[in-house]
Amino acid sequence: MSAIELTKPRTPIQTFKIIKVIIAVLALIFLAWRLYNVLVVEAVYTPATWVRFGISGLVIGAVYSVIAVGYTLVYGILFMINFAHGEVMMLGAFAGYFVFEAFSAIVVDPVNGLNFLNAYPWIAVLLAFIVGMTFSTILGIFLEKIAYRPLRGAPRLIPLISAIGASIFLQNAAQLIFGPKRRTYVNPDILARSTGWTITVAGQDIIITYTGVFTIVLSVLLMVGLWLLVQRTRMGRAMRAVAEDKETAALMGINVDGIISRTFAISGALAGAAGVMWGIQNGIIYHYVGFLPGLKAFTAAVLGGIGNIPGAMVGGLFLGVVESVGPAALGIDFQLKDVIAFSILVLVLIFRPSGILGEVLSEEKV
Amino acid sequence: MNDTIRSGIRAGIVFGVVMIFLVLIGFTVPGSEIIGDLLGIESELRAGNIQGLMIFMGLMGLGAGAYAAKGTGASVGKSLASGLVGGIATGLLVGAFAYLLGMLDAADVDMRKYFAQLSSQNISLFLYGREPLLGALINLLLFTVSGFLGGLLYYVLAQAPWLKRASAWIKAKRSRVTQSTFVQTIRQNPNAAFVTNGILFLVLFSIPFLFGNYWNYTFGTVGIYVLMGLGLNIVVGFAGLLDLGYVAFFAIGAYTMGLLTAPDPLGIQLNFWFALLMAIGMAGLTGVLLGIPVLRMRGDYLAIVTLGFGEIIRVLAKSDMLSSFTGGPQGVRDIAGPSILGQPFISERDFLFMIIFAILILIFITTRLQHSRVGRAWGAMREDETVAQAQGISTLKSKLLAFAIGAAFAGLGGALFAARNQYTGPEDHSLMVSINVLCLVIVGGMGSIPGVIAGAFVLKGLPEALRQLELYRLLAFGALLVAMMIWRPEGIWPAPRRRMEMHEEDEAHPPEAL
Repeated sequence: MSAIELTKPRTPIQTFKIIKVIIAVLALIFLAWRLYNVLVVEAVYTPATWVRFGISGLVIGAVYSVIAVGYTLVYGILFMINFAHGEVMMLGAFAGYFVFEAFSAIVVDPVNGLNFLNAYPWIAVLLAFIVGMTFSTILGIFLEKIAYRPLRGAPRLIPLISAIGASIFLQNAAQLIFGPKRRTYVNPDILARSTGWTITVAGQDIIITYTGVFTIVLSVLLMVGLWLLVQRTRMGRAMRAVAEDKETAALMGINVDGIISRTFAISGALAGAAGVMWGIQNGIIYHYVGFLPGLKAFTAAVLGGIGNIPGAMVGGLFLGVVESVGPAALGIDFQLKDVIAFSILVLVLIFRPSGILGEVLSEEKV
Repeated sequence: MNDTIRSGIRAGIVFGVVMIFLVLIGFTVPGSEIIGDLLGIESELRAGNIQGLMIFMGLMGLGAGAYAAKGTGASVGKSLASGLVGGIATGLLVGAFAYLLGMLDAADVDMRKYFAQLSSQNISLFLYGREPLLGALINLLLFTVSGFLGGLLYYVLAQAPWLKRASAWIKAKRSRVTQSTFVQTIRQNPNAAFVTNGILFLVLFSIPFLFGNYWNYTFGTVGIYVLMGLGLNIVVGFAGLLDLGYVAFFAIGAYTMGLLTAPDPLGIQLNFWFALLMAIGMAGLTGVLLGIPVLRMRGDYLAIVTLGFGEIIRVLAKSDMLSSFTGGPQGVRDIAGPSILGQPFISERDFLFMIIFAILILIFITTRLQHSRVGRAWGAMREDETVAQAQGISTLKSKLLAFAIGAAFAGLGGALFAARNQYTGPEDHSLMVSINVLCLVIVGGMGSIPGVIAGAFVLKGLPEALRQLELYRLLAFGALLVAMMIWRPEGIWPAPRRRMEMHEEDEAHPPEAL
C-alpha cells in the first residue's frame, strides 16, 4: 500500500481540526466586533474604570495563582486533580478567622479600647497566616493519607471520585460545624478594606487598597519561596524526580510516599495562605467559599499548563484580570463572570491543552 | 507491651477525634434519638436521649477497643490490654473535650456564635445532664469499660477458631445450594426468566396502589433518579467518561418541557407528549454539542469541563440577561401535565405509573445497548482508549453516542420532573443533583443496571425514611464515596464483568499506574 493511499481518507481528527479552526476564526471575529462596539461605539466606561477593573482583577488573580500552584504541584506528581483543594483553602480561611476573632477579643489597652489586633497588627496577621497554613498543611497530609494513598495504583477514575467525595465531605462538615451563615473577617485597622493610596488616572481618583497591595506582595513572596524550594533544595529535587518517573526515583533511593505526602503538605500550606488572603481581601467567608475559587484556580492551572509552576502563577493572574475586565469588555452582565472563566477553560482545552506556558504534553497526560 | 500501648493510643486518637467531630457536627442528638427509638427508651429531653447516647458512646468504645486489639498480636492478654488502653485514651480525649465544653458553657460563653451545633442543650446532653466533671468522668468510664469489652470482642470474633469453621460451613452450604441440580435447572430454563420478570412487573405495577400519595411522590422522585442514573450509567459506567455536569441535561429537559408548555414566559403551550419528545431531543442534541469540544479530553479534564458546563447552564438560567426567556430566578410556572385520551394525569399515582413505564423502556434500551456492538466498544474504550482505537473502534463516535444517549435519558427525567412539579427553576438544577446521581451510580455499581436501582433506593429512598438524619445526608454521601472507592470500588450490586475486573486486580497487583 502506498503512502498516498494511506493519507487519502480524512480521519475524524482532521475533520475536528478543520472545525476547530473555523470556530476559532468565528469566535475571534465576534470578540473583535464586541470589543470595538463596547470600546468605541458605546464607550460606557472611562479609562479610570478600566484601570479599576484591571487592578481588582490582578488582586483576585494573585489569590487564584496561589491556589492554582497547589493544584499544579499535586497534578505534577500524581496526575490527579485534588478536588478537595478548594475546601482545604476554605478551612484555612476559617482557621485564620478564628485567630483574628481571638485577637480582637483580647483588650490590651482598656482606656483607649485598643485590642490586640490593632495594637500589634503585624503579629496578629503573621499568626493568622501561621495558624491557617499549619491547619491546612495538616489537613492536606491527612487528606492524602486517608482518601488518596490507599488508591495508589487504581484506575484513574477512582482517586478522582474519592477526591470528589472528600470535597463534598469537607464542605458539608464545615457547614454543619460552623453553620451556614456568612462571617465577616475582622481585619486590623491598618488593613481596613476601603482604605489605600490614591492615584489619579485621566482626571479620576482610583484607590489602590492596602489589602490589595498586601495580597499581591504576599503572593509574590510565596511564589518566590516555592520556586526556591522546588529548584534549589534537596527536597525540591526529589519532588521533581518523582514527578518525572516514580519508579526510577524510588530506585534512586527517594522515599516516594514521603515526597507525595510532603507535596500535599506544601500544597495545603499554600491553600491555607490563600484562604487567609481571601478572607483579608474579600472579607466574607462561609462553607462554600472554597468551591468556586478552587474551580477557577484549577482553570488557571490548566491555562498556564498543568504541572508547570510559573504557568500556574501567570494563569492565575491572567484569569483574574480576564474575569474582572471580561464582562465589561464584552458588554455582558457581571453575573456571568463565572461563565467567562469556564468558557476560557473549555477554549484552552480545545485549542491549546498544554496551556500558555506548558510543555507539549503527551496524550497520556491530557 | 510497647506495641500494645502504641496501638491503643493510636486507636484512642482516631476514635477520640471522630467522636469530637461527631459532637461538633451535632450528631449526638439524632444518633442518640434513633438508638433510643429503636430500643424503646423514653427520653425526658426535648432533643436527644441520654441513655441512647450512652449506648452510642459504648458502641464507639467497642469500636475503639476492637480497632486497638486489631493492631496487636494474637494473644488474649494483648488484645484485652490494648483494648483497655484504646478505651482509656478515647475516654480521656472525649472526657477532656466534654469537660472543656461544660466549663465554657457554665461560664456562659456562647459558643454557637462560632460552632453552630454547640448549644447549651447539646452540651448538656453530651455531659448526660450532669456537672462538667461528672459528665466527663462518665464519658471516661464508659469508654474504658467498652474499650476493654471491644478488645475482648475482637479476640473472640477474630482469633477464636470457631468463627473460621462457621464461615467455612456457610460457604460450603451456599455453594451446595447454588450448584444443586434444582437451582441449575431453574437457571438454565429459558421460561424461568419470563416467570421472574412477570412477577417483577406485577410487583412494580402494584406499588402505586399499595401506598398513599406521600410515598407515591417519594417513589416518583426515586424513579426520576433511576432514570437519570441509567443515563449517567451509560456515560460513566459503560463508556468511562466522568461527567460531573450531568444536571445540565436534566435542566435542559426540564426547561424545554416548561418553556414549551407553560403560558409564561414564551406562551407556546404545546401538547405534553410533543414537548416530551422535544425535551429528549434537545437534551440529546446538547449532549452531542458538548461532546464535540470535549471529545479529546480524558478523565480529569472532562470532569472539570462538564462541571463547569453544569454551572454555566444554571447561571444562565438564573441570569437577568435571559430572564425574559427562561423566567430568571423565579423559574417557569404552570407547566402542563400529560393526558391520555382526554384523561389528564393528576394524582401522584398516575405520574408514578408513567415513571415506572419510562424506567422499563430505558432498562430495555440499556440492556440491548450493553450487549450490542456499541456496548462492547464502550467497554473497550473504558479499559484502554488507545488499544480500543487500534482495534478499529471509532472512539469519537462511541463517545458522542454515549454522551447523547446519557443526555437524552437525563432530558426525559428532567421533563417528567418538571411536568410532575408543574414548576422548574434554577434551584432545581444545582450541582447537588449531579452529585446525587453520580453517587447513586457509583454506590450501586458502575455499569450495573440493578445497581443503579439499588443505589437510587439507598441514596434517595433511605433518607426519606430517616428524616432525622436529613442534615447529614450530603456529609454521609461524601464519606461514602471515599469509603466505596477504598473498599468496594465495584459498588453494592456490581456488574458481573466489573466484579471480575476488580477481583483480577486484587490478585495480580499491577504495577503502580501513573
